[in-house]
Amino acid sequence: MSFLAPIWLVLTVAVAVPLFLHLLRRRIDLRREFPAARYLLRAEIENVRRLKLRNLLLMMLRALTLLFLALAAARPIGALLGSGHVPSAIAVVVDNTMSTGVIVNGNPLLSRLKGMARSVVQGAGSNDETWLVTADGAVTGGARNVVVDAIDRVEALGGRADLMGAITRAAGLVLAADLPAATVVVLTDGQSSQWPGDLSLGAVRVVAWAPTDTAPYNRAVTMAEPRPPRWSPKGSVTVGASGADSVTYRVTLGGRTAARGLLRGSDEQVVRLEPSERGWLAGTVDLAPDELRGDDERHFAVWIGDAPSVSVLPSSGLFIREAVDALVQSALVTRGPGVEVAPADEATRVPALLFAPADPVRLGAANRNLERLGVPWRLGDVRRDETIARGNDVDGTPVKIRFPLRSEPGATAAPDTLATASGEPWIVAGPDYVLVGSAMTADATTLPVRAQFLPWLSNILSQRLTREGSGLVHAHPGAPIRLPAGVTSFESDSQVVPVGATATAPTRAGVFFLRRGEERVGALVVNPEREESRLDRLTSADLKARLRGRDVVVTADQAELTRRAFDASTQRPLQALLLLLALVCLVAEMIVVRQAEPRGVRRAA
Amino acid sequence: MPPITPTRADLIDPASLASLGRIEIIARWVVDGFLSGLHRSPKKGFSVEFAEFRPYQPGDDLRFIDWRVVARSDKWMVKQFEEETNTRAAIVLDVSRSMDWTGAPERLTKLRYSEQVVAAIALLLIRQRDAVGLVRYDDKLRTVLPARARTIQWRRIVRALEESGAGPDSRMAEGVQQAAKLIRRPGILVVVSDLLVDQDQMEQSIRVARAAGHQVTVLHIMDPSEIELDSRGEAIFYDPEGTLEVTATVSDVRQAYAKTVVHALEEWRLRLAALGAGYEVIRTDMPFGVPLRKAFATRQRLP
Repeated sequence: MSFLAPIWLVLTVAVAVPLFLHLLRRRIDLRREFPAARYLLRAEIENVRRLKLRNLLLMMLRALTLLFLALAAARPIGALLGSGHVPSAIAVVVDNTMSTGVIVNGNPLLSRLKGMARSVVQGAGSNDETWLVTADGAVTGGARNVVVDAIDRVEALGGRADLMGAITRAAGLVLAADLPAATVVVLTDGQSSQWPGDLSLGAVRVVAWAPTDTAPYNRAVTMAEPRPPRWSPKGSVTVGASGADSVTYRVTLGGRTAARGLLRGSDEQVVRLEPSERGWLAGTVDLAPDELRGDDERHFAVWIGDAPSVSVLPSSGLFIREAVDALVQSALVTRGPGVEVAPADEATRVPALLFAPADPVRLGAANRNLERLGVPWRLGDVRRDETIARGNDVDGTPVKIRFPLRSEPGATAAPDTLATASGEPWIVAGPDYVLVGSAMTADATTLPVRAQFLPWLSNILSQRLTREGSGLVHAHPGAPIRLPAGVTSFESDSQVVPVGATATAPTRAGVFFLRRGEERVGALVVNPEREESRLDRLTSADLKARLRGRDVVVTADQAELTRRAFDASTQRPLQALLLLLALVCLVAEMIVVRQAEPRGVRRAA
Repeated sequence: MPPITPTRADLIDPASLASLGRIEIIARWVVDGFLSGLHRSPKKGFSVEFAEFRPYQPGDDLRFIDWRVVARSDKWMVKQFEEETNTRAAIVLDVSRSMDWTGAPERLTKLRYSEQVVAAIALLLIRQRDAVGLVRYDDKLRTVLPARARTIQWRRIVRALEESGAGPDSRMAEGVQQAAKLIRRPGILVVVSDLLVDQDQMEQSIRVARAAGHQVTVLHIMDPSEIELDSRGEAIFYDPEGTLEVTATVSDVRQAYAKTVVHALEEWRLRLAALGAGYEVIRTDMPFGVPLRKAFATRQRLP
């Protein structure tokens, strides 16, 4: 037997009080004249045996009462008779990831998990501490009704969150409570993608519930990607879905249905669109609903505007001029004062597409001009070793003459490097510039004469160097995000929510426009993780193998879960038993005392 | 309904009555009330000399029905007698320290109550032209008044009752023996005491008095607190006439004490009955008429 509040054991010294009073009885100072004292003496002599027994009994009953009360105050627990369970710290982890929103037998699986969580929490006693931990890491603790209310408010998240992190957090909570039993109750759908590895929880008991039946068949939209990211104003949406059979899909843009189609198997389709709207638009690709509605729709956002204007300096070279002419004819760009295309030594402003001068003699002038334009890169000494460029859109391009690019101290080079040559930056970019380390001539590099030159140039001019439409952020529900500078709020469904520079993505999927004051400057596209759509489950044995705790129980039986949630196998609180014994002693003492008092005397007293 | 208030002095609460006047006044009130309650002439009594017949009334002693008259006239008639005037009586009063005690301030002490009873009995006897004597004792004989039938005798008795007492012992045997000597021919002895004495000596003295032909009536005066312990808590209870001290918790011994008292009273009753003496327990909260009635009822029952 041990005690939760052993300090109260000092009260056991109170047992000495009845004993002391019993011994003190013969030292009475009060004297009363009583002529019939001889009768009193005779009464005592004739009843001395009964009186001694009675006094001894009263003393023992009073001492036992005090002893039981003192022991009860010390909150003993033991493996003896007792009621309830040992005082426990219980954290109930409810897996409310998107996959638990799946409909099983007409009801969401999450509703069943919440019901089990309620029954576990309602089984807690006044000596227990309970918490609710959801998959997104949110913790609710306190009184039992508070936790039950929190369970009622739990809703399925829009993504996969971090269930293992939530369980680890729950284990920390119950261990920190420093109660005799520490238990984490995990209520999950057993989705295998949520359990990539083992989870060690130390001395914590783990009682888990997971279904053993087969997961429902699920189809999901796996791709809804606008290409290019900015439409001017033409563009396309690449659509894809999981599953082996055919499924119809619908593409919406700006709240209107833009296209419908049929997807076969896991093929991808490109839907070409030319909307009349301008600015940021939200769109979706959705499928016919199935048991898991959360992944039957995927969101995207696109910026739609006119083609950017471009001015080309004559010294840019023949290839550049011809390419821009071709883009103008294709309506991908227009002539105008927007983006300047020029050698680095002659550029007059940004935004600009810059490239190295054809004459190495102009190296110094080029670097001075770059400094003047605020570009944090400089051209290094000329290299004439033929090498192959590595990078998006220009991969494999031979480079013969180049000026290795050097970043100025304090500049962050890595994010701006679009391509390298011999491991050195060759094409770099900033917010309003793109700098190429070679001249756009055939003897310097074959880039201007390659087939991918025009798409590359078009992408640079209409996507990279156009300020509008640059603020597109993708995230998963609940994940931390880094917003573009100056964003002050989210806008969704006509509601505006203020945010800071760094924030967490909303827990539901959707498109949230980024605002700088009253102006839309970008969009946050939140979609669930693709692996969350795979509903295949772990077996009970596999789940048990992944959980490492003091005593791990995995069951699919709700009654067993409720029964085993509290550790009733070891010690139990003895407080109620001791209070009952104290009450019995008090009643017995009262009966013994009252037997000596005639009814009339009791009434008078 | 308003409570019924007794108007006869022998039925009034003794403490309230005693607070109204001196002992002789109270005694007269008590005796007058007592006699009026009998519905008889103070000149008549169930004595020796026949006086007249009267119709039988419920409550009359069947011994006094004249069966010859009943046979002749078919009427139930009772014989009345002239009062006896030559009975000699002696009252023995215990005035020891144990008598000067009460269990509650609103009650009379046993001694005060007994003095009032003695005065009333004496007055009643003298009014019947009986000779009355008085013996008061504690650790010694305090008063010895030979029996006389004159009215002034009652005044002597009252004056004697006002003398001091409260000695640390009760020499009852001496008192009874002295009283028996006061009456030369068989008479009446009325002993008024709390009987906190040696039983054997008491028994011996009664036996001697009975052997002399005296009718003996013992009025055992007890305070209600001596019959049932009504105090609380723990205390050392000491006997004012001796060295006896008893430490007791009242709640512990209350029942046992009550049983012991009942047993002791029954013991007294049996012992005195065996000697042919009358015995009555008188509580100090009883109206004075009760001891008077019991004293004379006992006398009538005796052989």
